[in-house]
Amino acid sequence: MSNDLPAHARERLKGLRTSAHPSGVFTSDFSVNEFLLVRKAGFEPIGLCVGSCVYHVGIQYRSWSKNQELDVLSKAMYHARELAMSRMRAEAKAMGADGIVGVKLTIKRMEWDRHMLEFMALGTGVVHAAGHEGFRAHDGGPFTSDLSGQDFWSLLHSGYRPVELVMGSCVYHVAHRGMLSSLGTITRNIELENFTAAMYEAREIAIERMQAEAANAKAEGVVGLDIHEGSHSWESHVIEFFAVGTAVLPLHQEIAPEKIPDPMMVLSVND
Amino acid sequence: MSLFDFFKGQDAETLARQAAADRRRQEIVTAIHRQRLPKHIEARLHDSRDGKSPWIATLTPAELRIVRSHGVRPIAAVSASCWLHYGFSWTRGHRQGWQTALRRLGEEAKAAGANAVLDVKMRTVPIETEDSMDFSLIGTAVKVAGLPPREDPIIATVPALEFVKLLEMGIVPTGIAIGAEYKWLTNWQGGANLFWNGNTEVSALSNLWVRVRERALQLLREDAEEQGGGTLAHTHFSEMFECEGEKQKRYLARYIVIATVVNQVRAKSISPDFRMCLDMRSGPTPLSGTSRHHQSYDSTEREGAI
Repeated sequence: MSNDLPAHARERLKGLRTSAHPSGVFTSDFSVNEFLLVRKAGFEPIGLCVGSCVYHVGIQYRSWSKNQELDVLSKAMYHARELAMSRMRAEAKAMGADGIVGVKLTIKRMEWDRHMLEFMALGTGVVHAAGHEGFRAHDGGPFTSDLSGQDFWSLLHSGYRPVELVMGSCVYHVAHRGMLSSLGTITRNIELENFTAAMYEAREIAIERMQAEAANAKAEGVVGLDIHEGSHSWESHVIEFFAVGTAVLPLHQEIAPEKIPDPMMVLSVND
Repeated sequence: MSLFDFFKGQDAETLARQAAADRRRQEIVTAIHRQRLPKHIEARLHDSRDGKSPWIATLTPAELRIVRSHGVRPIAAVSASCWLHYGFSWTRGHRQGWQTALRRLGEEAKAAGANAVLDVKMRTVPIETEDSMDFSLIGTAVKVAGLPPREDPIIATVPALEFVKLLEMGIVPTGIAIGAEYKWLTNWQGGANLFWNGNTEVSALSNLWVRVRERALQLLREDAEEQGGGTLAHTHFSEMFECEGEKQKRYLARYIVIATVVNQVRAKSISPDFRMCLDMRSGPTPLSGTSRHHQSYDSTEREGAI
């Protein structure tokens, strides 16, 4: 399946509000607060953008007692997410969106086959209300971001704009302790350097890959980095380090930095 | 890769890639053993320090505002791990494990040219292995303008917003303090077996708790004293077990307390006035902390910043 949109998807997108159809209906998964802040930030929601992909993960051979990246699995997680993301982005492009806010990336395992995973990316396409095109990504397409509407507003008012949802993944096999079993008789607390090294390598690969994506998107930095350690029902010593964040660029003309006021100190009185 | 590929044998490119990965892995093992940073991690941190590659921050967009208003510049995501085998003591291992990870985190921050690490989160990778545990830390290395020069970077387990909130009031979060203690109680006189008694306090076990807790808190104070004035203890973890001994039952009590160390000038008034505000967020708000700061101790489910 390519990224060409199916006919029924094009039909659905046609009814949406665009610059050409100002009277159209918009769809979004915004909460009230999100909606208000996206509007306040000078943007209008157009429609929900969805991309999905059901993926069969290939067989990976590994040795029991070795730390190693499981590159077949790494590539699978990467490729499948990329397919879901690019399909979502194609929908956004077709509806003329400047960007997608609040992207949620989910992974589900199919019950009947542990090699089969479903990836879904869902977010709300938005346009700049005044038709400013400076918010698009470096390739002229819509920006993507997992920031909520509130975070989107905050980011613009920090003097930055989102460019791309960047991610790095590394599926890693942590060696079993067969070779270390003699430790059972040691009565000191000692570091298992081999295990520590596994954490270091896997995390580093994930961060490096994410940083490379940010550099490709010509971004200045990455905000909201989170590293998930997930096992997606693989066997016990296989773990995925998944780094995800939003690549950002400073705003130049869109909001002049001197217009941004300093934040005010408040202390929340609710618990 | 399909099953067929496996039998094809490997081409030169694959072999070269594997050799490079092996060299990298060996470098990490050597670096950990010699207590230095792995070379490629150091190189990445240097690139971030010199602005050659994009900065990476765990900060939220709202926290990016303090970049502008408080002179905090994010540089790189830094992380550290220590996987410890408990030959001697699980409980005391926690102190050793976190402290090793903290030292390594500080080294990464130095390589990134930072004078503070904010938003430090404590993590444990969910892999079950016998008698061992992973102690991982992840945070954002930053350069805070106007901070007095110091040899080791500040390590703050608070999010960036809380960090500047404290700074504005003249309080500097400086590090993490850990107190961990365990004690065994052998049930010699049957003091813990009160089957025939009515409602009554099990004094033997009450006293055991007191002794363990007092000692853990004392260790916490000693650890904090070296770093600064006070602690904000965000994590309390405690467990008690009954074990079968050779003749008598034995009881094990353990107590682990982890705190953010803060340095303050006593009796100084808190300067800015507070204002009530309407929070536009749904769910957790940065006003009361942005995210869970540890997931290593399951029994303490309290979330948010300290």
